[in-house]
Formats: sequence, C-alpha cells, structure tokens
Amino acid sequence: MFHYDAIDAAMVADRNAEFRDQVQRRLSGDLTEDQFKPLRLMNGLYLQLHSYMLRVSIPYGALTSAKMRALAHVARRWDRGYGHFTTRQNVQFHWIKLSDTPDVLDYLATAELHAIQTSGNCIRNTTSDPFAGAAAEEVDDPRVWSEVIRQWSTFHPEFTYLPRKFKIAVTASPQDRTAARAHDIGLVLRRNRDGRLGFEVIVGGGMGRTPYIGSTIREHLPAEHLLSYLTAILRVYNRFGRRDNLYKARIKILVASLGAADFASQVDAEWDAMDRPRLDLPDLELARIRASFGLVPFRTLPPRSERFEAARSDPAFARFARNNVVPHKIPGYGIVQVSLKGIGEVPGDCSADQMEVLADLAERHGHGEIRVTHEQNLVLPHVPLGEVPALYAGLAAAGLATPNINLVSDMIACPGLDYCALANARAIPVAQAISRTFADPARAERIGELKIKISGCINACGHHHVGHIGILGVDKKGEEFYQLTLGGSGAEDAAIGHVLGPALGADKVADAIDKLVEAYLAIRQPDERFLDTYRRTGVGPFKAAVYPDAHQA
Amino acid sequence: MSEALKVLTANDLAGGQVVFLSEAGWSDRYADAVIFDDAAAADAALEAARAATLTLADPYLIDVAAVDGLPVPTSYRERIRALGPTIHPDMGPQADGGVLVQALQQARGAARSSGRLGLIRRK
Repeated sequence: MFHYDAIDAAMVADRNAEFRDQVQRRLSGDLTEDQFKPLRLMNGLYLQLHSYMLRVSIPYGALTSAKMRALAHVARRWDRGYGHFTTRQNVQFHWIKLSDTPDVLDYLATAELHAIQTSGNCIRNTTSDPFAGAAAEEVDDPRVWSEVIRQWSTFHPEFTYLPRKFKIAVTASPQDRTAARAHDIGLVLRRNRDGRLGFEVIVGGGMGRTPYIGSTIREHLPAEHLLSYLTAILRVYNRFGRRDNLYKARIKILVASLGAADFASQVDAEWDAMDRPRLDLPDLELARIRASFGLVPFRTLPPRSERFEAARSDPAFARFARNNVVPHKIPGYGIVQVSLKGIGEVPGDCSADQMEVLADLAERHGHGEIRVTHEQNLVLPHVPLGEVPALYAGLAAAGLATPNINLVSDMIACPGLDYCALANARAIPVAQAISRTFADPARAERIGELKIKISGCINACGHHHVGHIGILGVDKKGEEFYQLTLGGSGAEDAAIGHVLGPALGADKVADAIDKLVEAYLAIRQPDERFLDTYRRTGVGPFKAAVYPDAHQA
Repeated sequence: MSEALKVLTANDLAGGQVVFLSEAGWSDRYADAVIFDDAAAADAALEAARAATLTLADPYLIDVAAVDGLPVPTSYRERIRALGPTIHPDMGPQADGGVLVQALQQARGAARSSGRLGLIRRK
C-alpha cells in the first residue's frame, strides 16, 4: 500500500494550517462569505441544506483498515455516526460544523487522509478500478498510474483554476469498473502487440445536463509519456475551455464543438512543442511508486478451498458467494464485494460501527485493504477463499452481507434533496422504495444484472444517464417528478440512456420499474441482461409496459 | 385574495444549521419564525441579515402559505430544509415534533394558501 512521504505529509499539514487560519478569519469577520466560499470549497467543505458537508478524498478509492477507523472516528465524534460513500469513490460527512472543520482535517491527516481535490475547479481525485491489484485480467496495477496522476495534479499551479472541475479515470482491465468513458479523461491501459504498456486516451466524456461518451483521441499512448500528454490536453482545455458560461465550461463541450479529430490535433501540436522529458515521470520515481503497491504477502493456496465449498450448503452463503465474490488473480483468493445497499437502506451510507467492523474484518481476512467503488459499495480485494465464510459471518452480523452486487437493488443514488442544496427532488426515498419492491433475493437473481442509477438533479451525481435504467428527479410545478431513461451504460459498452416517456410522480416510480422488469422477463432471450434485451428490441415493449395508454407512433 | 407571506432564513455560519429570524433573534426552530406580510419589512430584515456576516451564511426570504391556518413553506425544498432529511425523522428540527412539524410533513407539492390567514401571528 502506498504511504505518504515527508513531502506529502508536509503539504497536507501546510494546507490544514492555512485553512485553519482562513476559518478563523471568516469566523472573526475578516473574510466575507463571498471571499471565504471559494477557499472552503478548495478544502472539500460545502454548505448543504441542513449543514456543512465535508467531502474526504479517498485517492483512487483505496482505503486501509487504519484509514477506515479514522473515518469511523470522524463520523462518531464530529458527525452523527455515519458517512456516505459517493460515486466519486470519496466519503461525505453530512453534519460537520465549520468551527470543527480544522480539527477534523488535522485528525484526518494523522491517518494520511485529507479533503484536497474533492471540490473546486481543479483536477479531482482520480477514479480507479476497485479490483486493482486483484483482477486476473488487468495488464498492470492502475493504482500506480493513479498515484502518478495524484502526485502530478495535487496543487498543480497551472491547473488549479481550470474553467471547471476535471475528472480522470484509470483502468487496466477490459471490464471497465470506473466509468472511464464518462470522465473528462478516461485512460484504459493495454499492452500492444510488442508488449508495451500504453493508454487508450478517451477525452470529453461526462454527465450533467449535456451528457457525452468520451472520444478516443489516441489508441496507444506509450505509458511513459502519460504526464506530458495529460499536460498537453489540460493546456488545450485551459486555453480554449469556455469560462463565460458555467454550463459550457467542461471539456466535453470543447471536444464536441471542435470535434474529436480537431481537438486531438491541437493536443498533438501542444505535445510536440513541449519539453517532454522535463514533464514525464522519471523511471526511478515510477519504480518507487510501483514498489509500494506490490507488497501484499500472498500465500500459496490450493485454487479450490474445501471450507469455502462446504459453506455453500448454506443457501444464504451460497447466494452471497454467487453474487458478491469474484475470482482473484492469485489462485485460492477471492475478491469480496460488500454491498452498501441493504434492502430499504440508504445507498452508500455506512455507520461508524460498520466502518469499524469492516476495518477489523479487512485486517483479519483481507490484508487490511478496503476499496470504495464508484457504485457506492466496498470491496475487500484480497481474501483467501477459505476465510470467506468467516468474513461472511462477520459482515452478516453487521448488516453488511446483502447478496445483491450488480442486481436490481444495487442502485446508485445521489444524496438528493434530503441533503443537497442543488437537488430538485429526492433520490434516496425512491431508491428505498425500489429496493423494497425487489426485496426477494431469489427474484433479484432471476432478473440478473440490472443497474439502476438515480440523480436528484441534472448535475447527475447519481450517474442516471449511464444507468441501464436511469431515474432523474425534476421539479414540476412544485412537485417531485421522475423521468426514466433506458439503455445507458457506464461500463466498457458505455452509452447514454434514452428518455422513456413523460415523468412520473414519486409514488409511481417503483411500480414502473417493476413493470419494466416484468416486460424484460417476458421477452428476454437466454443469457440476455436487461440492457441486452433493450438493445435488441428497442424501447417499444418497455414503453408499452409503463405507458399502456399512450398512442404508439 | 392572495397575500404574500415571507419567512427569513439562513444557515448559521459556525454550525451550518438552518435558522429562521424570530422575535427573539435567530432560532433553529421554524415554529419560531416571524411571518412577514409586508414586503418592505421583509426586505429590510433581509438587508440586515446580509450585514450580519459574523453569524450567518446565505440569508434569503422564502414564500409561505397559510394551510389550515398554519404557515407552510410553499416549496417542498424549503419544507425539507425546515424539517431535516425526510429519510431520518430523528435528525434535524423535525425530531422535536409538534403541530407545525406535522403540517409541514403532510403538505404536498406546492403548498397553496387556504386563505385562513387570521390564525397566523404576523409581522
């Protein structure tokens, strides 16, 4: 696991001291709210509906047991006993006081945690594969490159005041668990025919009010040139990105207006003109970073664990094993996914008690590593198969063994109008209603993979555009309504969903999802996921199921 | 007949919690809020709140309608703000309960005035 060096620690300490002074000056009246707001936003502190919210960075979604315990302590001491894991692999505390924030940040720093790059128009925390270092099919450890990007981007003087926020995702597996194509830059690491590592560079994806799937501007960027090439992209964006219109300021708008080919040639011109060796990472530093991620002391185990197989005689464990455990690159190990989508619970929420249980279980069974997924779940990436039954028992006792990963009740939901000052409608109660509708785990398994994603406003933190079923909350004449979209995907088959029909009242949504699912079950062919059936048949049967009275065109 | 009723709200600067202007300064309880029926008085109070930058963040006026004689924010956003998160009835001012909390919880959509203004203590 990567640890901060003295330079990182000093940077965080300096930043915390600076912010402590800024908070003090705000509270004493030396700073106005207008002066202070951009400063607090550069330290992850938002003013939400009921309180301040502190967003704590979890770089590339990688936590240790020690960090998880620190989050639990913050939740208990300065918040209301829980935290909320987000679609950006971060964690949010929804009840933080401004006056406590400097102490919270100082405490977090003792566990190598901070709120840097969780807000503001900078390069944000890099998204990466929660299975990094564990997935059998990955060509390299994407955390190495995510950490390279972190070191390069943190407080980068040229890229701290971009036209708008900027999000990068790195994946090194063919199966995309990062929504790379919906990021400002998506980086997909591959080996070419000569065995050389290189990135497919995808630019201009994004959600929000103008969703785009990113365009590939380079098929195979030699990995060693990552930083100079990223610099070239950021420079073109910084120069030409629109600062006159908040809604047109993201790089996706620039790429769409220039066209991907034109944008790529501008980047190439910039890249050709720059002093690349000065910008690219020295091999020695790359080796240092790489070494710090390769230290998991895996044991040599038989590929099949008798204890694991015997435990399958318990149907509940068998269900958990089917849905939440996936193969590891090392024989005899498994990747265990922990759902934060208990039936009727708040997606992504985790109590301080649960955090501590997870920290203990990860230490006991998983080399002390915990990952956060962009789908608001957690992962213990390195668990010996023989220890999965004991891990399962520990998770079940803490209400963390819901066997629904990738199933209908494993929904993304943004905080919505229950917390968020930007929201137009609530998202969590809709997710809870759908979750209860599909509470039967056997039925959920029969339905198979189905990704429902819910946003409480067009900013799309809940990724609704790329949901197999997307749900967008809107305010219609003072009432909460919900617009359904079908056919989106945030994975390697990325697509933006299409609007199904007129928005529905809050009490109609769960029933409509039920009808969509029944329509799918009635017409699916063998091995078809909901998304596959939709892609084969088009919207017709689904529209008819939800809007039976509408005249078909 | 429609009379524009207003309540002045903000977030407490240090704590972040929602506050309302009451007869006795700023209160965490919506039930304490002064109901303005005079636009000029409401605007003057807002100006004063904007000057109180040592204690407040983001003051603004919200629309209120009389529903069965009780002052209810017309927008559901402001009702949720006055109550706390709907998914956690034990959190926020709603935890205290009371007639007004119930009225806010029961209001639907854009709350409309029922016209029974006489029952409301106004300023």
